[in-house]
This record gives sequence, C-alpha cells and structure tokens, in this order.
Amino acid sequence: MTIETEVSNRASYKDRYRDEDDGLRFQDLEFVGNFTGLPPLKDGILGDKVQKERATTKVLERVTNEDALKDQFTVPELNDLNNYLAWNVWDVLVMRATEGVSGMIPRQEYEILAFMHQFYRWPEFLRMTTDEVGAQGVMDIGAQSRREIGTKVNGVHDWSIGAVGFGMGRCGLLALDAIKPNDYVEESNEILKFMQRVLVGKRQDGYMLNSQDRYRAQIHDKDFLQTIIDQIEPLEEGSPKHDQFTRFNAAAELLAFLDHFDCRLGLGDTGPYELPNGNIVIIRDLFVNEEEYHWSDVCGDAGLPHVYTLAIEIDPNAMGLQEIRVNDISTTFTRPKNYIPAIVGGAVFAREKWDTPMANIQTIKISDLPEQLGKVQQATLKLYTKMSKMSKRELIWAGHDVYYQGMILPHLRRAGTWDKAVQDLQLKEVDQRIANYYYDIQKRGFAQETVPQKIFSGSGYLPFGADADIRNSKASWLF
Amino acid sequence: MTVLAEGFNAFETKKSPEGTVKYLGSPQDVIKLLSSGKLADHILLVRGGTTTFLSPALSMGAIGIITMSGAPESHLGILSREFQTPCVMTAHLTSSDSRYIVGDADESHFEEMAAQLEGKKVRLDVTDSEVGRVVLVD
Repeated sequence: MTIETEVSNRASYKDRYRDEDDGLRFQDLEFVGNFTGLPPLKDGILGDKVQKERATTKVLERVTNEDALKDQFTVPELNDLNNYLAWNVWDVLVMRATEGVSGMIPRQEYEILAFMHQFYRWPEFLRMTTDEVGAQGVMDIGAQSRREIGTKVNGVHDWSIGAVGFGMGRCGLLALDAIKPNDYVEESNEILKFMQRVLVGKRQDGYMLNSQDRYRAQIHDKDFLQTIIDQIEPLEEGSPKHDQFTRFNAAAELLAFLDHFDCRLGLGDTGPYELPNGNIVIIRDLFVNEEEYHWSDVCGDAGLPHVYTLAIEIDPNAMGLQEIRVNDISTTFTRPKNYIPAIVGGAVFAREKWDTPMANIQTIKISDLPEQLGKVQQATLKLYTKMSKMSKRELIWAGHDVYYQGMILPHLRRAGTWDKAVQDLQLKEVDQRIANYYYDIQKRGFAQETVPQKIFSGSGYLPFGADADIRNSKASWLF
Repeated sequence: MTVLAEGFNAFETKKSPEGTVKYLGSPQDVIKLLSSGKLADHILLVRGGTTTFLSPALSMGAIGIITMSGAPESHLGILSREFQTPCVMTAHLTSSDSRYIVGDADESHFEEMAAQLEGKKVRLDVTDSEVGRVVLVD
C-alpha cells in the first residue's frame, strides 16, 4: 500500500546513498577527539567520510574475509579503530547523553562499572571462544544472523564488543588512571578482532559498521527476507489496525527497554529494505523476556516470548523522507522525525526462546495484538513495581550485569561457550578491581561527569603510543 | 498566547494535548498517579529523559510530557515518538535565564521549573520540527 502524496513532499532519502552526498546534520555539535588542530568532525555520513580520509591504514575501508581472519591488527590499525569508534560513540549517543538522571535506575554508575569490567575480563572469554570455534567460526556466528530474526547477535551487541568493551572500557580505566595508554594492547586486539570477525561475517560487504555504509544495515539474505515481507498486512493511518500495530510496537519497545535496565540491548533494527513498490521496511526485534535475568520472571509469568519481531513498512513519500539512519546501536532515526503516520503495513512474529528454530516462529495477526498488548502492559507494571523496590546497590549491579554479561551473551550462547565461561572462567563473578571501583566511581562526580565528558568529547580515547607493542599486556603497576 | 516554557520537540505532530501539569519526582509518584485513574488529566513533568521512570505511565496512555533534560535521541524521546505522545524535552522557562547544563545541573534549576509549572493548565504545541512549546491555557 502507498499513500498518495504531493510532489513537493516526495522522498529524497535515496540521495543520501550517492557517493558525493554528505548527508544531513542531525545535530549542531562537533567532535574533536584525538584530532586536535584539525577541523572538528560532524555527525552522520560526512563524519564517516572525514574519518576515512584521516585514517592512516585501510582498516576503515572494505576489508576481505582474509583480513578479518588474520590474528592481529597492527598498532596503527588499532589507533584508527580507536578514533573511529570514539567518533561513532559520540555520533550515536551524544544527544542521548543529555538525558540526565533516571529517577529510577542509576545508569551512569552501572555503565561505567560494566565498561571497565568488560575491558578487563572479556578478552579471556573471547579468546576462549575463538579457540573453541576458530576465527572462521566467529565469522559464522555473525553470518548466521543473515537468516534469523529475533536474534541478539545483532548490530547493537556486535558494536558493543568494540565500542563499549574496548572503547569506553579503556577510556574509563584511563580516566581513573588505572591503566596507561600502552597497556593491554594484546587484549585490545583480542576484543576488536572478535568484533571485526562477527560484523564482517554478518554484513558480507567488507564493512563492520552501519555508519561506514551510510547507516544501512541491510543484512538479511533476500530469499529469507521475502518470507518475512510476505506476511505484511496493509495498514491505513487512523484505522483500528494501524493503531493496534503502532501501540503494540511502542508498548513492547518500552518493555524491552525496561527488561534491559533502560538500555538499547532490548531492541534491534535492521534495514531499510526497499520493496518493489518503493516503500521501505524496517525489521525490528523487541526482546521482552531475557530469561538469563532473574527479574525477567514477571515477563515469563505474563506469557511473553523471548522476542517479538516486527516488520514495519513505511511509505517514504508520505513523510517526505529526507534521510533514514539505522545506526550502530540498532536504532532508527529519520528526518522528518515522525515516521509513525507513514507506516502502511506491518507484521508481527514471536520467537519463544533465543534458539527456537526459524521454522517454528509464530506469526501473530494484527487483529490478535490487543491480547498480546495486555500481557506486555501487565509485565511492564509488575517489572516496574519490582524495580522500584530495589536498592541502589541492587540496581547498579543488575544494570552492570545487563551490560557486562548481556553484551557478549548472544555470541557465546551461539558459539556454545557460555556455560564454560560461566562455570570454568567464573564470568558471573565480579573482579576484585571492579568491586573496589564501585566506591571510586561514585566520588567526585566520576561516573556522572568525568567519564561522560571524556567519552563524549573524545578526549579520553588516548591513542596507543609509538612504543606500544601488539604483544603487550600490562607489564607493571608503578606510578 | 502565553508560552511558559520551550524545549526540544521529540517529534512533530498536530496533536496538542491539554492538561494540568503534574510533577513526578519518584517511582511512587508514578504508581500513585496511575492508581488515581487520572493519568489522562495531566501533562507529566519529569527531570530525566530516560524511559524507565515513566514506563507504566507511557504504557497506560500518558497524553503529554515535559522533561527537564534529554533530547529526541534519548530513550524517552524515542518512546514518546513510538507512542505518539507529544513530548517537550530539556524545557526551560521563558521567564528565566536558568538553563539545564549537562553534567553541571544546578538543583535550583529543577526546583524553579517544578514550582513554576506544577498545577498550571497548559497545552503542548509541538507542530514545529525542532521547538516544542508549553502554552498556558487561560
């Protein structure tokens, strides 16, 4: 279905995919990072272009599978990745970072604890997993998502491995003066290699990140995607079905945020996929019941599946779409901002467990969504009530678990190494260094001011120095 | 038309909800409002731009929101768009020079906002793509 539109309102978003186009600016802010003395970077396509021009290696260009399978980056490649991820984090999160206190969940505190914990401990888990399945096996973990919906091996989780575990984790530890720029080079390589392999294996166009491809996440194989698109029901704005679909989308998305302690690990968009009629489709996973988290019992009790997946068909001409970004934390932003009235079709699916085979995915008719909505609302209220009774300490450590455990859970689960990491390597324990930092980060505004300033100005992502050795861990604890 | 406050517009819409401003300072305030059955009478005023704090209110049909921090890219901005609930973010009083500064927010800024807006009958004007306005209803 397509909404009739005036000529003046026609979509121009495809202009963004022309080589010479620099994209729109979504914000007025600028990024400096390690590029002091050079013109600041902008957001969006232009920022990506300039980063590629300033890179000293080819690691930000399209790479081959053979490149991804190599055991090591060079130190200059690590520095290019460090700079790019610093900008990318700023690009997707700087405006979100204005949101201030939660009033519910001490997110800044749990985030910084988790970042640092990830940097210290993930290398061991990721190395063990690579040893178990091989470098090609890690790429295959990513590739499997091309033929699945409702999987957390998705953009935001894959991105988190490098951008959060390496980028922000190292940034936080440098700010705390716990490490020096040339420490943990080998571990940094381990984290970034894992991220590169998963993403290159998934995208199969040589890029890792959506921002490198003008914010497109078109990962699904065509024949697989068609089986999803075939289920789309037409929707007319203002009709009861349109309302049922959009209300369900919003309510399930909200619960997905809540079940993941107000972070985006609960949602994942891919697309935009263009249809023959000129409309575009976003495939959206909403993880409303992560059984790995004990508080999610209320979601299970409400009868919710692990994940709902929505296929959202948008008429770009109806909204005069100028740019659409599916960014690297799997969130869709458009200009104009409001795409909801331009939704002209939708389909909803349910995946009962994280490993439910694709053949057993349930299709939910839109007319049946009110029943599902009631379950979602019930779980939301119960989960909210439960969280409102948790102490600050409980909230911080629970949120920490969502990041520290949850960001690599999907990859290790798919690799079959999760249980080994938990049992043999004590993944769910808290490292003594991190336990001690619990108090440090709550002093002198470290979590709420110092680290956000380092992260979002880009000034905290110090490069590896000229003397850095790719084999280096941390040789000394001196001054 | 008296504009009491302005801020980022989370998304553009012709919806223009009216209600009495209700400041919500704690999760218990949110639960209490829901229990009262009067959610639809109020424009909700909150400090943060995060989602979880207002979760049940959004889910149960909040008609309009004013935040004292955050942006359309914040979680609450995203969710208000999905719910089509008009939302003015990082609002500031037009009668005051006080502004929200990330990482350096003065407590008095929030207190002044709450004191000036609480209990006022207002309408949200969110037709502009960038600026959302809180308009006094006479």
